[in-house]
Amino acid sequence: MALSPRYVLRETGQNLWRNVLSSAAAIITIGVSLWLFGGFFLFNYAVDNATARWEGGIEFVVWMQPEATAEQDANIRNSIEGSPAVKEWAYVDQNQAYEEFREIFSDTPELIEVVSPDVLPPSYRIVPENPDADVVAELSDQFVGRPGVEEVVSADQTIRDIQRLADKVTRVFLVGSVILLTAATLLILTNIVSAIRSRGAEIEIMKVVGATNWFIRVPFMLEGLVQAVLGAMGAWVGLRILDDTVIRGLSEPDSLQLMQGFRVDQGEFYSTSLLVLAIAIVVSGIGSAVAVARYLDV
Amino acid sequence: MIKLNNVTKVYKGAVVAVRDVTVDIAKGEFVFLVGPSGSGKSTFIRLLNREELPEHGTIYVAGKDIGTLGAWRVPFLRRNIGFIFQDFKLLPKKTVAENVAFALEVIGKPRHVVRKQVPAILELVGLAAKMDNFPHELSGGEQQRVSVARAFVNRPPILLADEPTGNLDPQTSVGIMKLLDRINRTGTTVVMATHDRSIVDTMRRRVIELDRGVVVRDQARGVYE
Repeated sequence: MALSPRYVLRETGQNLWRNVLSSAAAIITIGVSLWLFGGFFLFNYAVDNATARWEGGIEFVVWMQPEATAEQDANIRNSIEGSPAVKEWAYVDQNQAYEEFREIFSDTPELIEVVSPDVLPPSYRIVPENPDADVVAELSDQFVGRPGVEEVVSADQTIRDIQRLADKVTRVFLVGSVILLTAATLLILTNIVSAIRSRGAEIEIMKVVGATNWFIRVPFMLEGLVQAVLGAMGAWVGLRILDDTVIRGLSEPDSLQLMQGFRVDQGEFYSTSLLVLAIAIVVSGIGSAVAVARYLDV
Repeated sequence: MIKLNNVTKVYKGAVVAVRDVTVDIAKGEFVFLVGPSGSGKSTFIRLLNREELPEHGTIYVAGKDIGTLGAWRVPFLRRNIGFIFQDFKLLPKKTVAENVAFALEVIGKPRHVVRKQVPAILELVGLAAKMDNFPHELSGGEQQRVSVARAFVNRPPILLADEPTGNLDPQTSVGIMKLLDRINRTGTTVVMATHDRSIVDTMRRRVIELDRGVVVRDQARGVYE
């Protein structure tokens, strides 16, 4: 005979209500741990987006004027090619710059609409042989003010510091969330064990009258799942707030220029949300499965 | 209906609860299991319900060798066996009707079946007027009637009872025995472990006597000893 949804919902609801305080503790713990876990991913995405143009050892960018002549451009290119201090370089033309722009501002279509490739400057992304800050400054200074050059921007110490700080922050988020997720798993397990013990008489009757093992087990397992999903919903709200306030706040137009790419696009946000939900289901699955297998003798 | 062939059950510490028991119980029989405490009566009943498995021998219930049943099929076996406990085992937070309905709900019976069968069985056991009462509002005899109703609501062909009158006074016990007799007359096989001499002597049904796990007497229309 099939499980009756009405019966399963009623039993699960009763289990949660009987252990309302410990259920609340489990939901809060799961919520906070998943929020930290999701925050780890959002910060990583934001830092990656903010420092995207500085990846792969690129230490400075020579931005050309969009209207620079071919001769001016060739002059700069020759200087870069001829410099023994340059290890690698790449030229990003206006179309590639536009693609990059579209990627960074993918969740701001109104901005993309008013920008076309011809207004975006092409650029040279340069990886020097020696990443020492003084050597990079000396090399990049050679391009400042030359005809056709709009601006030379270095990945100065501040960016490196931010990358290092972000690394540490996200590591703390990750370690904290793993510890809390372990605690949440144990809390779910404990809640289910206490529900099993408080319903010992009912379970005995169920076995005697011929309830199937799954009929007995499912309400307990569902209890863990409900706690985890409620925790995940709380974490989702927390992540939305984190994205709307902290992350977007840091990338406001009046913030530091280097933070202006510090953003999380919608795709990244929703993939993080799905991951958070999946982790919640795994956590509840582990807690419930252990509790039911070890403490529910059916 | 029930057949035990050379069944032996040994608990940990080499305690032999049932030794080389061979018994055949026909459909519709009423059988008393008697014997002193520790003689193996409860183990006998638990073996029939597959709460225990024998070390040796085979047990057939309704034509099936229950020793070879897969674990997943045991619940379906138990749907054919009603069980009455000495201490009633009613759920205190459920009303009389809810206690009885519980036995149907947990085997997935639809609501309309539950709504039809619960009042009918409560009528049969004489508790229709108390269906909304809680167990603590009932006398011991009434609580045992609820337990009987719960065991029989699914109309199983076999009813097992482990000292169902053990916690009741003699007058109330008579009422419970009348109820079990009435159920037996519907064709239900009843196997009842008991210490109650007067009930066994009054009803004069088949008596199987166990002593230290061995069947020492199997008598049609028997008495307690």
